[in-house]
Amino acid sequence: MYMRLIILFSLIISLSLSSCEKVIDVSLKDSEKQYVIEGVVTDIEGGCVVRLSRTKNFDENNIFEGIGNAVVSVTDDAGNTTVLPETTTGVYRSETLTATTGKKYTLQVSINGQTFSASSAMPVKVEMDSLYVKEESFFGETVKLANVQYNDPAGKGNSYRFIQYVNGIKEKSIFIRDDDYSDGNISTITLFTAPDEDEDEIKSGDRVTVDMQCITPAVFKYWFSLDQGASGDNNSASPANPVTNIEGGALGYFSVHTVESKTVVVP
Amino acid sequence: MNKLLLVVLALLTCMQGYSQEKFTISGTVRVQRTGETIIGASIKAGDAGTFSNDYGFYSISVPAGKYTFQVSAVGMLIHTQSIELGKDITLNIALEEEPKMLDNITITATSKNRSLSSPQMGIERLTTKEIRNIPVLFGERDVLKTVQLLPGIKAAGEGNSGFFVRGGAADQNLILLDEATVYNASHLLGFFSTFNSDAIKDVTVYKGGMPAQYGGRLSSVLDIKMNDGNNQDYNVSGGIGLISAKLNVEGPIQKDKSSFLITGRRTYADMFLKLSNDSSLRNNTLYFYDLNAKLNYNIGDKDRLYLSGYFGKDVLAAGQTFGLDWGNATGTLRWNHIFSSKLFSNTSFIFSNYNYNISIRSGANEFDIFSQIRDLNLKQEFQWYINSKNNIRFGFNSVHHTIRPGEVRPSSSGSSINLSLLQKRYSWENALYFTNTWKATDKINLTYGLRLTSFSILGEGDFYTIDKEGSVTDTLSYAKGVFIKTYINPEPRVAASYQLNETSAVKASYVRNVQNLHLISNSTTSSPTDKWVASTNIIKPEVSDLFAVGYYKNLVDNNYELTLETYYKTMQNRIDYRDGANVFINSDAIETQLLFGKGRAYGIELQFKRKAGKLTGWLSYTLSKTEKRINGINNNKWYNARQDRTHDVALVVSYQLSKKWTVSANWIYYTGNAVTFPAGKYHVNDQTYFYYTNRNGYRMPSYHRLDLGATWILKQRKRFSSELSFSLYNAYGRENAYTISFRESEDNPGKTEAVQLALFKYMPSVSYNFKF
Repeated sequence: MYMRLIILFSLIISLSLSSCEKVIDVSLKDSEKQYVIEGVVTDIEGGCVVRLSRTKNFDENNIFEGIGNAVVSVTDDAGNTTVLPETTTGVYRSETLTATTGKKYTLQVSINGQTFSASSAMPVKVEMDSLYVKEESFFGETVKLANVQYNDPAGKGNSYRFIQYVNGIKEKSIFIRDDDYSDGNISTITLFTAPDEDEDEIKSGDRVTVDMQCITPAVFKYWFSLDQGASGDNNSASPANPVTNIEGGALGYFSVHTVESKTVVVP
Repeated sequence: MNKLLLVVLALLTCMQGYSQEKFTISGTVRVQRTGETIIGASIKAGDAGTFSNDYGFYSISVPAGKYTFQVSAVGMLIHTQSIELGKDITLNIALEEEPKMLDNITITATSKNRSLSSPQMGIERLTTKEIRNIPVLFGERDVLKTVQLLPGIKAAGEGNSGFFVRGGAADQNLILLDEATVYNASHLLGFFSTFNSDAIKDVTVYKGGMPAQYGGRLSSVLDIKMNDGNNQDYNVSGGIGLISAKLNVEGPIQKDKSSFLITGRRTYADMFLKLSNDSSLRNNTLYFYDLNAKLNYNIGDKDRLYLSGYFGKDVLAAGQTFGLDWGNATGTLRWNHIFSSKLFSNTSFIFSNYNYNISIRSGANEFDIFSQIRDLNLKQEFQWYINSKNNIRFGFNSVHHTIRPGEVRPSSSGSSINLSLLQKRYSWENALYFTNTWKATDKINLTYGLRLTSFSILGEGDFYTIDKEGSVTDTLSYAKGVFIKTYINPEPRVAASYQLNETSAVKASYVRNVQNLHLISNSTTSSPTDKWVASTNIIKPEVSDLFAVGYYKNLVDNNYELTLETYYKTMQNRIDYRDGANVFINSDAIETQLLFGKGRAYGIELQFKRKAGKLTGWLSYTLSKTEKRINGINNNKWYNARQDRTHDVALVVSYQLSKKWTVSANWIYYTGNAVTFPAGKYHVNDQTYFYYTNRNGYRMPSYHRLDLGATWILKQRKRFSSELSFSLYNAYGRENAYTISFRESEDNPGKTEAVQLALFKYMPSVSYNFKF
């Protein structure tokens, strides 16, 4: 064998891997309207709100009218029932009802003869130790991200939801965390937002507010499955309706949770 | 089982009684120049014929007398000699390769005649020679992508090396590399397969009628054999393409006796990322590599040892924040022994491993996630060429599986993540099999066999009782080494062929397959982090029954071939994720996230192939239906499986223009996958979300694409040859939908819109290959 030195060369023609995105027409069948219930009771006065609406067909506009003239009430496990008066169309509020840790609350909604119910116990309050904004390397880019630190109590089952506002504008991403892998530890959650959405980026001088909610595992599952299956993004799991805690065949959730809010100005 | 064996043996003995005195010709068929053994070479002594086995060995028994003895194989000159047989003889045959550069080009059949007499159905064989001209994405020749052009086999998605066979899922394909199971055959999230075509000798796909020596997956067997290595001379070959470079070195250790082979491939797209000005690209890592190695050694005339291995890895990282690497490693030690001219034995000891590792380095949450499946496997097979009418194979297979479902380790002392090791799962899979191919009459051939499998779940570990809602109601803990449960399943395999005349035949077959390792995936594309789970007390073995009937016709002196097959398949104990399941749940009871049901698939497959001449190729068409019914999904009603595509067409042609140029083209068309689209929308959390009713009630748009290719031979000498290959993927730039997602309109937030994402619109590539 004659070993010969050979010079290898490569010819590379333009790499046109660029993917292309376009809006298309998909004809989607109409479906029977479903009721949507968003019910919340918190540990703060004025935090008890129930919103009622309905599903719409895909090609209709995104104005979701509330459903009025429903009977909405919340009953605690001592049998005290609070009826929520309708404040604006489809929005039912109690200015005084607050939830106490350990107590169970039952939501009852009746709309045009159909009734729906859901129960949820108020979780233990875990305090937000700190909120800070820190630079992180995220997919190669340096971005400023909000971090929340809290001390998770021992024993699995603690679940959390965080809502971020930058200069008063709510971030769309759903931030949730449970203690499946971090039970009993001082925990930090970094609120990652997609780096390509420039308008959401946190800049120096911005006011960042984060609400921390201690939620029930059932409501954690609702947010988890809503985010996975119902966002319309077809890249991950099979699309499916989220796992709800409402009985009677409505979409939505009933969450009894604690609320704590902190604000920082980004240095 | 025992009874069946007795009956069969009695049958055989009495048949032998009738036959006159016969002698046996046996030996090994090789390529003269390289010493590589030839799989599936056709051997004929007069009217009697056989094929060489996976190790090139053949044995044929005929009455005493004068014969014209002929050996032929794809791309080889036919060897003919006359023999006078009066005793058993050994004939080792070395075939010469066909000279490529004849003045007037006459190209003989690129693939051997589909055997009309063999009862084997649903089989496709490819050699690397056959796939070399087919244009492919990034110019990277790929057996898995070529296999997808065959009828009944569907690509898992745009540019994806995953495939679905006759309605089966991607995990229902048994993918073997030198007998070792490859658990994840894809690189770079599916765009490439783990098989470097330079290292491969032969690819056989069984989409039905699998012989009894194969088992463990419901839908298909893809049996890939690596080259042995040239035992005559040293050889270096390689190539450099758009995204990868490869090198192959082989040669004798001792001429005629032993040889080695080492093949490596690495992508270098990441090196270009480093040159980028864009920091979001520059700091990322994205590459894979493969290494194949083989040694083989002849110990005398009767024994041969092979040691082969594969190692591949993908590395993906986003700066320092996130890393994911995964890879397969396999090793096979084999010993061939020729007991007699009629009895061939192979013993294999096989190791197989797949694992992935995710590392997250972000703020206070620094941790690694690790998962692994590892097999130790012993196989013993005998091939007994009893007489000219019967050919028996029997043996056993014993595999020990260890699965580490998930291990989370904090990587810094301040990490808020706890150390969490899911229980290792142990299981022991055994199979005993027997199969006979019986030439019942001149026209009727039968293959009948049985594979008896047992799957034992071994301790230690916790096993559960789960209620309808998926909550654990009871836990039982078992000690180390305890047999927790054993599933025993007989898998009958029957096939028959009836030769209508010289050029046509009909065949029918029935097979049962059982699968005890299940890949649970809830994503729409294959992911390296999909979970392999063994059967448990709750997860039952999946079972498939496949019935098939076919018609086969050779036309115009075997230059054309027409194949028509139709099948009906049922599948039991299929697995799916519950709605809202958490793939990364930190619990040993994975069953809480699962639902079970069944599947059915049926279809017609048609292939018309031209095998000889300047123009070769095939047209294939599949009409099929695939459905699932899972308790807890779609109101427990039947629904279309994602891979259900009504029509599937592939046209593959290659034309030799001149001595130097070969051009080729593929055209592919299929009905879009079944997909779930919204039935409505609603408002929650100040945002629009979507409401769904029927699972997979819609279809993606139809997919079609044309690929063009050309190969230009630059130099063709004895000592050095080189060529350039050009390809253009998606030549007419069709924007095929990769995904369709739904969102609020960017221009008009009051409306919602559907957005289609398409990949690879015109994708040219060039690669340079050499050999010396």
